[in-house]
Parts: sequence; C-alpha cells; structure tokens
Amino acid sequence: MLEHPSEPQSRISLLALLGLFLHIGLTSFGGSTMAWMHREIVEKRKLLDDQSFMTGLTIAQILPGANPVNLALYLGMQARGKLGAVVAVFGIVLPAFCVILLMGYLYRTLSGYDTTHVVLGGIAAAGVGATLAMGVKLARRVMVRVIPIAIALLTFVVVGILQWPLVPVVIVLVPLSILQAYYLNRKRGDG
Amino acid sequence: MDSRLLGLILVFAPLSLFSFGGGQAVVADIQYQTVEVHGWLTNQQFTDLYAVSRAAPGPSTLIAALIGWQVYGFVGAVVACLAIYIPSSIVVYGATSWWHKNEKSPWRTAIEKGLGPVAVGLIFAGMLAVLRAAHIVEPGNVNYLGLATVIGAGALLYLTKISPYLLIGIVAVLYASLQFLPL
Repeated sequence: MLEHPSEPQSRISLLALLGLFLHIGLTSFGGSTMAWMHREIVEKRKLLDDQSFMTGLTIAQILPGANPVNLALYLGMQARGKLGAVVAVFGIVLPAFCVILLMGYLYRTLSGYDTTHVVLGGIAAAGVGATLAMGVKLARRVMVRVIPIAIALLTFVVVGILQWPLVPVVIVLVPLSILQAYYLNRKRGDG
Repeated sequence: MDSRLLGLILVFAPLSLFSFGGGQAVVADIQYQTVEVHGWLTNQQFTDLYAVSRAAPGPSTLIAALIGWQVYGFVGAVVACLAIYIPSSIVVYGATSWWHKNEKSPWRTAIEKGLGPVAVGLIFAGMLAVLRAAHIVEPGNVNYLGLATVIGAGALLYLTKISPYLLIGIVAVLYASLQFLPL
C-alpha cells in the first residue's frame, strides 16, 4: 500500500473496482466522463471525499495524458494502490477502445462513398470547433500576464505555424515556463 | 519486432509524455509524423480518422488506436494504445505520490501555473494542423463552409451547454444533405 495522508474512506475489492470503472467507461460520453466519476466514486460509493477528488482533477489536467484516464489512475491508486491504478485505467479505456475500433471498422466499410468523406469532413470541422471552445476557455484562465501570454504565443507559432517538432520545443519551453512561474510566485510572496 | 510496430511505439510513446490536456495538444505532431514522415496515412485518411475519434466516446488520444489499426491491424491498435497511455500513466503515478508528500511546496504551484501557457499554445497549434489536413485553411485556399462550421460549432459549445453528440449529429445530417442538393 502507498503512504498517503488521505487514506481511502472505505475499502473496495479489485474486482469491484474494475466493474466500477468499466461501468463508468461504458456510460460516460465525451466531456462528461469526469463528472460520472465524481458521481460514482465520491457521491455514491464514498471512496474519496471532494477535496481529494479535486486534487486528482488538477493532477489529471496539468500532467500529460488523457484527463479522464489520468483521473481514473489517481482514483484507482487512492482506493487500492498500484493494482487499483492499473485496474482503473484498464476499466476506463477498454469500453472506449472497443467502441472506437467498431467505428473505425464502419469507416473502412463506408470509405468507398464520397458522402462518407464529406460527412467526416464536417465532423472534423465540428471537432476543431470543440477544440476552439476549450482552447479559448483555458486561454482566458491562463493568459492573464505578459509572460504566460508570450509563452503560449511562442508555442503556437513555433509548433503550429513553423511546424517545428513538438518534443524538443516542449522540453525547452516547459521548464522555462515553470521557472518563471516559480520566481514570480516567490517575488510576490516576498513583497 | 516488425519495423512498423516499432515505428508505432516510437511515434506514440514520446508523444504520450507531451499530451498535456489529452490528444488535442499532440494532434499536430501525430499528423506530421504519420502523414509526412512515415507516410502511413494520406491527409484524407488522417482527417477521416480524426473525425471518427472526435465522434467516438472516450478520450481523443484514442486516435492512436485507429492509426495503429490502419498500420498493423488489431495488434497495431493495441500496441499504439499502450504506447500512448503507459508513459503518461507512469508520470501521473509518480506525480500523485510526489504531490501528496509535498503539499506545501512552492514548486507545486509553479508547475500548475507553468504548464498552462504551453498547453494552450499546443492546443491552438493542434487546431491549425487539423485545419490544414482537412483542407479547411491552407496557404492560398480557404473552405468557407468548413471555417463557418468550426466557428459556429466553437461558439455553440462555448456559449451553450449543447451536447457534443447532438452537435455532431446536426453537422453530419447537414453535410450529408448538402451532398444531395443540386447546387
């Protein structure tokens, strides 16, 4: 078991945990996955309290990886340690994996028709619209100071417009961005 | 191991570590690597698979599974899926342990604040990559119907609580019916 200050409030067997996350993975669609997790894990089963759920939500969002998958890992880890983490991730990914392969199969069967590409082109445009809405929401939260705005713009120009490879760009920009946030915080704390 | 399977791992495992906020941040690089570098897909196929991944429930990083399937069948889908989730999961696992041991660390706040701007920049870069691959906006050519769909869908999702599936359904019906109208 891991050493956590916040011990799970009730125990759950690994099998029950797997069932729980398979259930969440099956019933939740798109952006509502994390809301379903809150309902099932915090409200119904009371495996965790709101505070530690919110910590998990933050970790899930700022670290690499799909947010719902990261949150499942965090919740599984809180409930049952290492094995709990593995079981939760498996449970949340498996249903979505099966559904997307099924849709991929449908796509291959239908890709001979022009209409398929036209409709998928429209859906891709709507998908970009969803990204636009999310991007604007996040930008409004993040871009309140000059340096963060500059870092966001620099990232966009270098990766988006100049099409430099993402990995080396991120390796340089992420530490710079964290360092400036650290020193800005310290300066504000001292003054 | 087959070089195409190894190729899938080499493309998706590193991107896993940079998929801040999920698949949207790395979609620009996925498009570049799979279409331009490896030639596994055409731009048309990439756009179609991107659309399938957006229409499907579950995380958008699952586009890796679709590309894996295209490259190496079911095994490719499983391998690509593991490659996109395992590295980031290890990071989250380590960070969760660290997070709980360092409640008061100033680095915690700095990391939270520092990752944000890079993530935002990457999200918009990913948007641009899909706009290019889908031929909606490219040098010397703008598809106005596509651009109107992007902005209209974006505004609806930003301002209202419309279900993404209702929106995708409406767009699909609209585009399909435009196909059959004598314009």
